[in-house]
Amino acid sequence: MDDLLADFIEETREMLEAIGSEIVAWEANPADRARLDSIFRFVHTVKGNCGFFDFPRLEKLSHAAEDTLADVRNGRREADSQLVTAVLAIVDRISDMITAIEGGQELAEGGDEALIAALEAGAEIAPMVGQTPSPAQPADSTTAGAAAPTTAPRSIRLPVELLDRVMSGVSDMVLARNDLAHRLKEAGNQPTVDGPFERLSSILTNVRDAITRMRMQRIETLYTAIPRLVRDLSADLGKQVMVDLEGGEVELDREMVEMMRDPLTHIIRNAIDHGFEPPAERLKNGKREIGLLSIAARQAGNKISIVISDDGRGLDEERIAAKAISTGIISKAQRSKMSREEILDLIFAAGFSTAEEVSSVSGRGVGMDVVRDNLEKVGGEIQVSSQPGEGTRFYLQIPLTLSIIAGLTLKSGGQRFVLPQSYVEEIVRLRGDKGVIEDMGDTSLVTFREQRVHMVSLADVLGVKAEVPRENANLLMLRLATGDLYALAVDQVQSSSDIVVKPLPPAIMSCGIYCGTTLLDDGQPILLLDVPNIAQEHGLMSETRALSAHALMDDEPVVERAVDRAMLFSKLDGHKRLVRLELVKRIETISAAAIDRSGRECRAVVDGEILPVIGIDEGAALGGSVRLLRLTDGSSEVLHAVGSVEDAVDLVDELVSVDESDPLIEAVTLIEGESIALIDSHKLFAIHGAVPRQAATKTCQLPDIDWAKTILAPLVEAAGYVPTIDAEADIVITLDAVETHSTAKPVIALRSAPDDQVEPGQRNSSIYRYDRERLITALRDASKGEAA
Amino acid sequence: MSELLVLASIAGKRCAFRASDVGSVIEAGVIAPVPRAPKHVVGITALRSQAMTVIDCRAAIAEDPSIYPCESHLAVVEVAGHSYALQVDKIDDIATAQSEPEPVPGGSGKHWNRVCKGMLETDRGPALLIDIAQVVAGVEQKSAKAA
Repeated sequence: MDDLLADFIEETREMLEAIGSEIVAWEANPADRARLDSIFRFVHTVKGNCGFFDFPRLEKLSHAAEDTLADVRNGRREADSQLVTAVLAIVDRISDMITAIEGGQELAEGGDEALIAALEAGAEIAPMVGQTPSPAQPADSTTAGAAAPTTAPRSIRLPVELLDRVMSGVSDMVLARNDLAHRLKEAGNQPTVDGPFERLSSILTNVRDAITRMRMQRIETLYTAIPRLVRDLSADLGKQVMVDLEGGEVELDREMVEMMRDPLTHIIRNAIDHGFEPPAERLKNGKREIGLLSIAARQAGNKISIVISDDGRGLDEERIAAKAISTGIISKAQRSKMSREEILDLIFAAGFSTAEEVSSVSGRGVGMDVVRDNLEKVGGEIQVSSQPGEGTRFYLQIPLTLSIIAGLTLKSGGQRFVLPQSYVEEIVRLRGDKGVIEDMGDTSLVTFREQRVHMVSLADVLGVKAEVPRENANLLMLRLATGDLYALAVDQVQSSSDIVVKPLPPAIMSCGIYCGTTLLDDGQPILLLDVPNIAQEHGLMSETRALSAHALMDDEPVVERAVDRAMLFSKLDGHKRLVRLELVKRIETISAAAIDRSGRECRAVVDGEILPVIGIDEGAALGGSVRLLRLTDGSSEVLHAVGSVEDAVDLVDELVSVDESDPLIEAVTLIEGESIALIDSHKLFAIHGAVPRQAATKTCQLPDIDWAKTILAPLVEAAGYVPTIDAEADIVITLDAVETHSTAKPVIALRSAPDDQVEPGQRNSSIYRYDRERLITALRDASKGEAA
Repeated sequence: MSELLVLASIAGKRCAFRASDVGSVIEAGVIAPVPRAPKHVVGITALRSQAMTVIDCRAAIAEDPSIYPCESHLAVVEVAGHSYALQVDKIDDIATAQSEPEPVPGGSGKHWNRVCKGMLETDRGPALLIDIAQVVAGVEQKSAKAA
């Protein structure tokens, strides 16, 4: 509402400015019909708008002026100078009131009636008319007082084209800056130049950010037209629909806002035309007479999601399927195998439109296929879900901005290209492994995470010659909006950077391989690859969904990696370490408080299991949360605290054994020129490994004495048991027990006498109650016995 | 009449661009090729951090560019909001038109007819007035999309 109000004020201001000269001209010549008309339009508009906002005084004033002017227009009254003065006084008053409203204040009461009375025909009002400026006077003084707090958010209106020019100017400046930086670097160190250049550089970065922000627009600009659209459409179609708009404050690039306008309108039209039932039918179905159309926008990372939902009749699966069959999109045989989701998805298929007859509202030319196409062109996606009788939901996802995207530079056939990083799921470097790529006829498949994935070579797509043999290529695993995965083989992957995308001329667009161009830091132009289009041209969409390699396993073994892989990470103390990738179960993040550091060995409870933690030096301060590698040898597990997880790497270089004081180090190897120690898997589990114990699920029966409660219980608890005096416990600890229990449960017998005061036989069969180590070992053994 | 023209030779023929169409004449820098692009698209290049498409006028008129050596000057034009740099044999000079463009008696051949708006007289003799939009569009693309 506040923004609508701001718009109203803005608009009224603009009109006031515009009619300023008209007023003067009209005053000079009250018979001037054109001037009269424009002033009439002004008061008419103000009246209309303020009825909406509940400004009764403003409405009264403008209404009176409108009536008077209407009389003049109809020839019922003469526009004498008296009337002109009275109207002008009202216009002035409106202006004052607008200022007051903007400042959030009430204009001083009174004076309005006098102004309105001055409009009345009759000479006896003349003295009043003479006074008209005076009621405005106090108003002026109030507004003058209010002026100071009013100034807070000042705004100007700019032509969008100018904004675009500034934006492209700044982009060019960035490129020119990069070029200059390049040259400066070549020229060597020049302190007198470098300093100022650095400064220029950082200013430019700030300016660019600001300009980017300038182009951002609230999604509200899209919303404003919706209530009216919905009202008109539902009135035309005899339906009752209420709109609920949410998230209007979400900002996105102006271009994106424009881009969204048509899809949104189309979906709304469809919803009202086909989605909502007529009121009578709704009542019959136990729904509220008035349908609810809700539109909610949310920002998530660098994406905006918009959900448009209606509570209408929902999509009719059967009708969609029948329509798709009749238009030849799918065959009957395909139909029988399709899930409801897949069928609903058909509404986005080219040439589909469910409207049986083209109504005046929807089903005119554009269909949902165009909506999806347009969204995908800008890197967005759309999905639909629908419950019969309950309604339909469209999920739209669009990037924040069109013009700056994260790009990944790569090289193929000696030439550089860039593609949007958002598609890249993973980069796989092939290292001459034979058998990773399988040729099935003309199609190449690559095994990726136990899936056979269709692979195309970018060099083949481009019709150039790859410089790197296929076995050594880099594979970009690209995930399309449709969910399809394919591998693009390129010679080299270079770097990722933010790129400013510029459009390409039609001659190049027609190749179907590129969707834009950008300039690299060195000023060289580079082409942006059109990932979905390449996929489509090469038949990589949908029908060639990756086959699960498991299905093929009977015939051939899954391709084995020729090299060992390891996880590279930094310990808490910053030292880098490698651990074999097979050991890594997953990466856990837990709060530092969840790590029990009281014992000789640290422990932590993860997912209800107690696990030993290594990698934490005694006394080392921990932050709020700790990342842990969860390592497993199949049965035992151990957590390794890490500072950061770097990457998965191949162990290609020789492993050099070293005489390390740290028993956990197996060898040292070179990773990208750095020598890094590899953790010895065998020793790691031999020393630290523990079978995960269910935290606090096992009970341990303690002797019912104070010593057990105060001294023994905490120890037992730390070992992962719940101390109890209940005889139903999983294990039993006895103290100075006379003789045996015949129970099947493990029993730990404690005695009060130290080892040197008892006979050797007793020494082994029972544990001195302060022999902490033996006690803990016994507890652990007991639990292992249980687990096994 | 007194309209300024940029004279150039394309495939050995004397041609003229309207000087108002030509934004500037630049020295060709590095041109990045565009694989799979239509024949007349040489590649893309950048001028003062602005990307533009390089069009070989000879190829656009279905002449064989390899027959005609070309020098490194490119004429920069703008068509439908996109910048193009036109590659010709040679950019000659600026001249003043001495007549309105007139149809070439007997036509100038199928491809030339498509790209030229007629012939006009200059102080260097008659020249074909080139329609830049047609040059940029190139030859009707039959085989451009052959995979």
